[in-house]
Amino acid sequence: MSDENIVLRYDNLVLSAGRKPLSGVIRAGEIAGVAGLEGHGQEQFLLALAGLGRSRDGSVTVEGGTAGSARYKDHYEAARNGVVYLPRDRRATGIFPVLSVLDNFAIPSMPRFSFAGILDRKRLKQELSSYTDFLSIRYPSADASISALSGGNQQKVLLARLLALKPRVMLLNDPTRGVDLNTRLKFYEAFRKLAAENGIALVILSSEIEEILQLCHTVSIFRDFECSSVLDRTSMTMDRVMAAMFGQEGGHP
Amino acid sequence: MKTSLTSNRALIAFLGVVLVFLLGTLIIPGFGSVFSVRAMLILASLLAIAALGQTLVMILGGIDLSIPFVIGFANVVFASLYGSGTPALVALLMVIVVAACIGAISGGLSAALSIHPLIVTLGVGTLVQAGVQMWTRGLPTGSAPPFVNEFVSLGGTIGPLPFPWLIPFTLMLTLGCFFVLQRTVYGRRLYALGSNLKAAELALVRPVSMWMTTFALSAVFAAFAGILLLGFTGSSSATVGTPYLFQTVSAVVIGGTALIGGRGGFPGTVAGAIVLVELRTLLIGLGLSEALVQSALGLLILALVAAYGRDQHIRNLI
Amino acid sequence: MSTAPKTSSKPAFWARNETRLAAILFVVLIVINAVLNPVRFSPGNWLTVLGLAAPLLLATLATTLPFLAGRGSIDVSVGPLMGLINVIIIKVLMGDAGISSPWVIIPAALLLGIASGVINGFLAAVLRIQPIVATLATYLIYSGLALSILPSPSGSVPSWLADFAGPLSFIPVSLIIVAWLLFKRLPLYDLLMAVGSDDRTAYTAGVNVPAVRFLSYVFGGLIAGMAALALTALIGSGDPNIGPGYTLIAVAAAALGGVSLAGGIGGLAAAFIGAADIFLLQNMLTSFNVSTFVLQAAYGIVLVLAVCLNSEKLKARFQIWMESR
Repeated sequence: MSDENIVLRYDNLVLSAGRKPLSGVIRAGEIAGVAGLEGHGQEQFLLALAGLGRSRDGSVTVEGGTAGSARYKDHYEAARNGVVYLPRDRRATGIFPVLSVLDNFAIPSMPRFSFAGILDRKRLKQELSSYTDFLSIRYPSADASISALSGGNQQKVLLARLLALKPRVMLLNDPTRGVDLNTRLKFYEAFRKLAAENGIALVILSSEIEEILQLCHTVSIFRDFECSSVLDRTSMTMDRVMAAMFGQEGGHP
Repeated sequence: MKTSLTSNRALIAFLGVVLVFLLGTLIIPGFGSVFSVRAMLILASLLAIAALGQTLVMILGGIDLSIPFVIGFANVVFASLYGSGTPALVALLMVIVVAACIGAISGGLSAALSIHPLIVTLGVGTLVQAGVQMWTRGLPTGSAPPFVNEFVSLGGTIGPLPFPWLIPFTLMLTLGCFFVLQRTVYGRRLYALGSNLKAAELALVRPVSMWMTTFALSAVFAAFAGILLLGFTGSSSATVGTPYLFQTVSAVVIGGTALIGGRGGFPGTVAGAIVLVELRTLLIGLGLSEALVQSALGLLILALVAAYGRDQHIRNLI
Repeated sequence: MSTAPKTSSKPAFWARNETRLAAILFVVLIVINAVLNPVRFSPGNWLTVLGLAAPLLLATLATTLPFLAGRGSIDVSVGPLMGLINVIIIKVLMGDAGISSPWVIIPAALLLGIASGVINGFLAAVLRIQPIVATLATYLIYSGLALSILPSPSGSVPSWLADFAGPLSFIPVSLIIVAWLLFKRLPLYDLLMAVGSDDRTAYTAGVNVPAVRFLSYVFGGLIAGMAALALTALIGSGDPNIGPGYTLIAVAAAALGGVSLAGGIGGLAAAFIGAADIFLLQNMLTSFNVSTFVLQAAYGIVLVLAVCLNSEKLKARFQIWMESR
């Protein structure tokens, strides 16, 4: 792929003191997997890309946005530049249990659907329903409480929340965690479409290797807060991913 | 369905307004008279205005203990400015702006440094009151412009209507506040932030600016109540707000806004304020001393909150 | 209950982050006070000074206990409770019943404190009324009752009780210190700190969270009972108006000493140092002969500054800033 496709460039990200810094790029339409044993830095990597990290020397830059390339220092700026993040723990850091489906969907993108601070609920509802089919979200009504929805449907609302921000890069932290198999397949389908048709780059951290093998074009495997290896579609097998996770295979293939 | 539960709580509070009123008319002669109802509505309106900000702050999951001090500040400073020849509107603007700054400081410090707002507002409030006292050397002067007196007067009328402008004003304020909370970015984000801070931050809500705005609003409405109180009592006092410390909290809680944040609304607070004033009037009408009225109010608040304002069991929080 | 997480052993209080600032302030204030007022702070007067400070020291510790239990646990009724016990001792026990024996009055005061703790604990931890609302209501009830029992200050105390503010002033404070040290040896103390730091984890580990919270109010009530005795000894009469003022000062003192309002952090040392700071500050400004307004302003400034400087978030930000240089 040519350099024109690069949407995100990261330089010198240090995930833990004294570890090898990471640099690399993410391209439009790419589905990049991120894997590793629990607590080996893959989460920090995703957070750093989202602008939520605390790397001192590192930088993350969005390329080819409306304003050319832009470095961002926090997740607010990241989102403004089209880099959005789906948190891992839906209940603790995702949904607002007391609010409606519509509110849960709209909280971050509200400024776009308001005039002088007053919400245009009609446009918001339209926006929500435009994702309802795409993600096949099931809910009684837009004003129903989010708590009335199943876990899978809550997760879909959160995904729609990100899509309403018109992202160029989606950073998804274990997006199918606690989601049933059928819904999971729906998610895969949606992810592939978003990458292929909308040219969105997806970075997916997954705790299930199966998922990465099915979905991702490349996978970066983390060990001890360093990226120990990067496998592409051709070299990506269960055994090699596992081996890299357990540190039995060093360096790049 | 938690959203319907909160509106139910406000409904229960309104039901309480009706019940206590019926009870009052039954046992106290003159409780339902025009004069008495008007007096109760005026007192409840003053309390509701002072408690508007407390409602917003509590939806956020905070508490504002500086309200009585800001009331006292506005009361004294407005009277003094107006008394020394400043045009009323200029004086009003100055007081409101300073109040907004005071609130923004409290809210900003609490959110930016994650300190419990109880302590910050207590400290800032104490400081404000001390500042006012030093400025006036403990002897406040001045008075309210006539139109403020008229606005809240016990004998006030609007044409043929037997109440002062304060009553329709409070009604408009209630509707306005309801609209802001339900239909604006600020309102919805307020609930979001109050119900789940981490999720709200990730959903691009900025906690510090939300807290600054909300505490500033709280102080602005407290200041407003302070100026109205000046019109009501006639002379200024730095301690005029003291009873409002606990009364605002009580009105908000009776109105169904939970202190844990994310739930509630202003109509409930208005109902809570009316219930409190009605109960007070009722107890005084029964011949209880001021001290026993206080005790009885404490008991009644407990009974009301035990009936519908209880927290969840820890097992439901896991 | 056996699987409860144990709190790790902590360093001595002066080395602890949250209390260090208050401890430094304490030393500074002691020096200033001793220089300004050498007679009052001479060793011969230490017991009198302790008698003056005891009500606030104990009220702060009483307020601290529910704070330790976390999730909004707070007891704002400590002040009015002290006032209520004060007027009950003076008016009911000594005035109406004519009892002046310490063997009745001391247990009565402590039992009244415990009873209040049981009520507050029941309302807040068992009925699950939000603690600030529950104790606000008891605040109103107690202060109203106190005023009804004794509408205006009057009465006097027997000499043994007056001595509690003078030569015997070490008794109430040391009794509570002993009680605290015993309490720290109980498994209950570890459970309390565990519940305060993370009640969900504690609950999952099998801790009876409501019971622990309940007991924190009860123990706080007992200490408030002792604070009421110290207060009665100090003012030497019954006064229904003096108690409620202690609530906010005690909350401020606890926060100043580094007690976390979110639970799990703090203890006797933090409470006492915070209270001593406020007491010494009060003393210092009084000897400057400044108006009460200046005194009030100083409270405000010290309180806000101290909690800001104590903020973990500020320290974290400062650290990041230092590293980035």
